Amino acid sequence: MSQAVGHRIGPRRRLAIDVPAAVNLIGALAKYLGLAALFPIPFALWYEEPFWPFLAAGAIVSGFGIVLERLTSGAAERVGVREGFLVVSATWLLAAGFAALPYLLSSGPQLSSPIDAYFEGMSGFTTTGSSVVSDLAEINRSLGMWRQFTQWLGGMGIIVLAIAVLPRLRVGGRQLMESELPGPEIAQLSEHIRSTARKLWILYVGLTALQVLLLALVGWIGIDDEMTPYQALANAFATMPTGGFSTLPRSAEGFSPTSQWILAFFMAVAGANFALMYLGVVRRRPRSFVHDEEFRLYIALMLVASAATTAMLWGYGIAEGEEAVRAAVFQTVSIMTTTGLASADFAIWPVLLLLSLFALMFVGGSAGSTGGSIKVVRHLLLGKVLRREIDQTLSPEFVMPIRLNGSPVDERTVRSIAAFVLLYVGFWAVGASVIAIDSAITGAGLGALDALAASATTLGNVGPAFGSAGPMGSFAELGDASKLTMIGLMWAGRLEIVPVVVLLTRHYWRL
Amino acid sequence: MKVFLIGAGQVGTTIVEALHEDHEITVLDNEASRLRAIAGRFDVVTYEGDGTSRKDLANAGVGSADLVIACTSRDEVNLVAGMFARREASGATIVIRTSNVEYVELWRGGQLDVDFVVSSELETAFAISRIIGVPAARQTDVFAEGQVQVGEFDIDEDASPGVLGVPLRDAELPGDSTVAAIIRQDETILPGGDDVIHTGDRIVVIGSPRAAKAWSTLLWAGGGAVRDVVVYGAGRVGSAIARVLLDQGISVRMIEASPEQARRAADALPKARVYNATGFDPDFLERERIGQSQAGIFAMRDDAKNQYAASLAQVHGMAFTIAIAHEAVSVAAFEQAGIDVSVNPRGVTAEEIVRFAHDPRMQQVAMLEGNRYEVLDVTTRESSRYVGMAFRDMPVHGSLIGAIIRDGTAIFPHGDDVLQVGDRVIIFTEAANAPWVVEAL
Repeated sequence: MSQAVGHRIGPRRRLAIDVPAAVNLIGALAKYLGLAALFPIPFALWYEEPFWPFLAAGAIVSGFGIVLERLTSGAAERVGVREGFLVVSATWLLAAGFAALPYLLSSGPQLSSPIDAYFEGMSGFTTTGSSVVSDLAEINRSLGMWRQFTQWLGGMGIIVLAIAVLPRLRVGGRQLMESELPGPEIAQLSEHIRSTARKLWILYVGLTALQVLLLALVGWIGIDDEMTPYQALANAFATMPTGGFSTLPRSAEGFSPTSQWILAFFMAVAGANFALMYLGVVRRRPRSFVHDEEFRLYIALMLVASAATTAMLWGYGIAEGEEAVRAAVFQTVSIMTTTGLASADFAIWPVLLLLSLFALMFVGGSAGSTGGSIKVVRHLLLGKVLRREIDQTLSPEFVMPIRLNGSPVDERTVRSIAAFVLLYVGFWAVGASVIAIDSAITGAGLGALDALAASATTLGNVGPAFGSAGPMGSFAELGDASKLTMIGLMWAGRLEIVPVVVLLTRHYWRL
Repeated sequence: MKVFLIGAGQVGTTIVEALHEDHEITVLDNEASRLRAIAGRFDVVTYEGDGTSRKDLANAGVGSADLVIACTSRDEVNLVAGMFARREASGATIVIRTSNVEYVELWRGGQLDVDFVVSSELETAFAISRIIGVPAARQTDVFAEGQVQVGEFDIDEDASPGVLGVPLRDAELPGDSTVAAIIRQDETILPGGDDVIHTGDRIVVIGSPRAAKAWSTLLWAGGGAVRDVVVYGAGRVGSAIARVLLDQGISVRMIEASPEQARRAADALPKARVYNATGFDPDFLERERIGQSQAGIFAMRDDAKNQYAASLAQVHGMAFTIAIAHEAVSVAAFEQAGIDVSVNPRGVTAEEIVRFAHDPRMQQVAMLEGNRYEVLDVTTRESSRYVGMAFRDMPVHGSLIGAIIRDGTAIFPHGDDVLQVGDRVIIFTEAANAPWVVEAL
C-alpha cells in the first residue's frame, strides 16, 4: 500500500509520518467543513445582504479539500497516532482561514486586512472571542452570524463532529479526538468513540437550543428589548462554546439583568464536563456531580471568586446589592470558563480586581468542557502532586498514587500534566514578551499588565484583555507582530499546546 | 464418610491428619513422592494422576465420594477439578481452595458451581484480625456468626492480679464467659469454682466477643484494642490482611520492598500508607517510628525474612508481633525467637476445610494445641440424654459446654440453665472425645 503511494507521491526523504495519509484526511475534513458556510446564507437572504461571500468561501474550502483528497488518493485510509497530530493542527489552521474568507470577500470597512480577518477567524474557531473589530455596527447581520457560528462549531470540536458523522474516522479517531477535546482524558463515557462523540454533540446542540429558547422567551415577553431572536441565537453561539464574541458594542452590558443571569448560568454549564453532564442529566445519575472531585472544585472556585469579587465591587463602591452580585458572578464565570462576555467594563476596575480576573484566566473550565486554559482538573491533580512531594520530603519511601475520584491516575498522565502546565506558562511568558516588545515599538500603548493579560487571554481562549483591549475595546490597535503571535497562542491554546509542540520536533518528522 | 482429596501438599496433608481416623480418604496427586510420603504416615488410598483430567478423577473413584476437596496450590487445577467432580459425583459436597479472593467473591455471587470456596489469604487475614481483636490470645476462633469467641491465652506476669492465684468463683472475671480449660504442662483441667489460674498456665476461654476483649485487657500489658498496625509485605497475603484490618477501622501502614508491588497495594488500598522500603533499614524504622505501632504483622513471602524483620522491629520497640509462617516448621522457630503469634496459612486453610467433613449437625470446628483439643458447634437432638438436664447436673467427661445458641442468640449458661432440643452447643473437648460428644448430644 505505502509502496504504491511511494511511486505516486515519491517522498524524497524517509519520513517518520505518512504525510499523504494525513493530507488526505485533512482534505476530507475540509471538504465537509466547507458546508458550514451554508449556515449564514438564509440570514443573508432574510436581511437582504450579499450571500455570495459565504457561497464562495464554502466552494473554495470544499474545492481545496477535494483537490487535496484527489492528489493523495490511494493513500492509507487510516491515520495513526503520529499523523493525528499533523491532521489536528493543520485542520485548525485551515479552519481559521476558512472562517476568515467571508470577512475578506465581503471587503467591508472592518476585517479587510488578511491578518485581521485571520485573527478574527482563529479567535472564532478557537472560541477565544478576542476581536479586532473596532466598530461592530459595520459588520452586517449575516456576517455577524457567521462570526458567532464559527465559535459554536469550534466549541465542541470540528474533529469530534467529524468523528460523530463521518464513517471513515471510526477507526483511529481516538487519538484525534483526544488531541482536540480539552482536558487530560475522556474516561468518563467508556464507549466507542463514535457514540461518545455523538452524545457530546447531541448534548451540546440540546443545551444550545435550550439557551436560545430561554433568551428568546425573555425578549418575547418584553423583559429585555435588546434580546431579539437573532440576538438570542447569536449569544447562545457565544456562550455554549465559551466563545465570547459580543454582538453589541458594549458586550452583554446592554442586556437586562434576567438575560445576564441566563447567560451566566449557561457559561457555567459550558465550562462543566459534558461527559459528566451526560451521566448526571441524560442518564439521570445526579449523584455523579457530587462524586466528581473536579466538578466540586469547579463550583467551589466559582463561588469563592464570585464572593470575593462581590465584596471588592461593593467595597470600592463600584456597585451595590444585586447589581454587585450580578456583575461579580457574570465576570467571574465568564473569565474563569474562558468565555469572555462582559456585563461591565472591567478594564476600568481597580487593579486588585484586575489581578483577580487575571488569575481566573489561568483556571479554565473542566476537562471535557468547551472551556480553555489550564483546566480545573489539572490544578486539582497538580495540587495533589505538590502535597505528595511534601509528604515524600518527610518520608522518601512513601508510595502515594495520585487519585482522581478514588481511582489512581497513571504516573505518565501525572507527568504529562506537569509538562503541560510548564509549557503553558512558557508559551504565556514568551507570548507576553513579544506582545510587550511589539507594543513598545509600535506605540500601541499596552502596559505591562495589559501585555501579560493579552497573552494569557489568547492562550487561554478567554477573549478580552485589559486596557484598550478590554471587554468593550478591541485588539485592532495592536501591531501585526502582536496579532500573529496571538493567532499562534490561540491555536496552541485550543489544541492544548502538545500537538503543536510535537510538530516542532525533528523526531516527529524524521526517522 | 468418603473423602476425595486432590492435592497432597501441606494443606492436603494437614487435612488428612485431621480426618484419617474417622473417614475413608482417597488422595490424588501428580507427584508420586508426595503420595508415598502421605501413604507412609496415614492409612489412605493414593492415586497418581492429574486433577484436571476427568478420566483420572473418574478412575480414582471421585464418583463415590461424599466430600471432594481440591486443595492443590494452583487455583486453576482446583477450579477444573471442582468442576469435573461436580459432574462425576453429583451428590457430593465440593470444596475448593483458592489463593484469589476474586474467586471467593464469584462463589458468593453464585457464579461458581461448587459448595464452598476457601481462600488461604482470606482465612489468614481473618485469623489475624481475630488475633488483633484479642491481642493477648495465642489463637481465637469465632462461632455462631461471630456471637461466640473462643480464645486461648498464655498466663504470664502481666496478667491482672485479680485473676491469678484466686479460686475462679472469687476471681474478678469478665461476664458472659467461661474458662473452658486450664492447660498446665501436659495436664488439662476442666475447671470448677475451686480451681486456680497460675502464671505459666495456658487457658481456653469461651465467651462473647466483648468478653474475649475484656480477657485480653486483663491478661495483656499492652492494654486495650489495637488501633494501628504495620504490615510487612504487600503481596496477596499482606494486602488481604491490610484490607480486612482497614475495614475494621484500624490504621494500617505497609512496608514493601518491590516498587511495583508497593504501587499496586497503594492503588488498591487508598486508606493504607504504603512505604517502598525493605523494612530492614534502622534509619527508616527509626524515622517512621515503626516500633511505636501497637502491632507488627510480618507477611513477606520468606519465613526467614519475616523472623528477622520481626526481631528487628522488636529491637525498635514493637510490643506485639505476628508472623506468617509459610512452612509449618517455622511456627516453632518463630516461637523460639520470641515472636508473639505465628499463623500458618496452610494450617488455617486446612482447618477451615476440615470443618466440612464433620457431621452435618455440626456447623463448625476449631482445633487447639495442634490437634489435641477441638471446639465443636453441635445442634442437640431429641434423643440426646442431656436434653432437659440442668448444667450443674451434667457429668464431667473431658468436655465442657461454653455457650449455647438458642433462637439465634448466644447464652453463656449458668448452673441452673437447662439444655433444650435444637440448642446449638459450643463445646470444648479433647479431640479423642469428639466423636463421643457428637453422639451423645
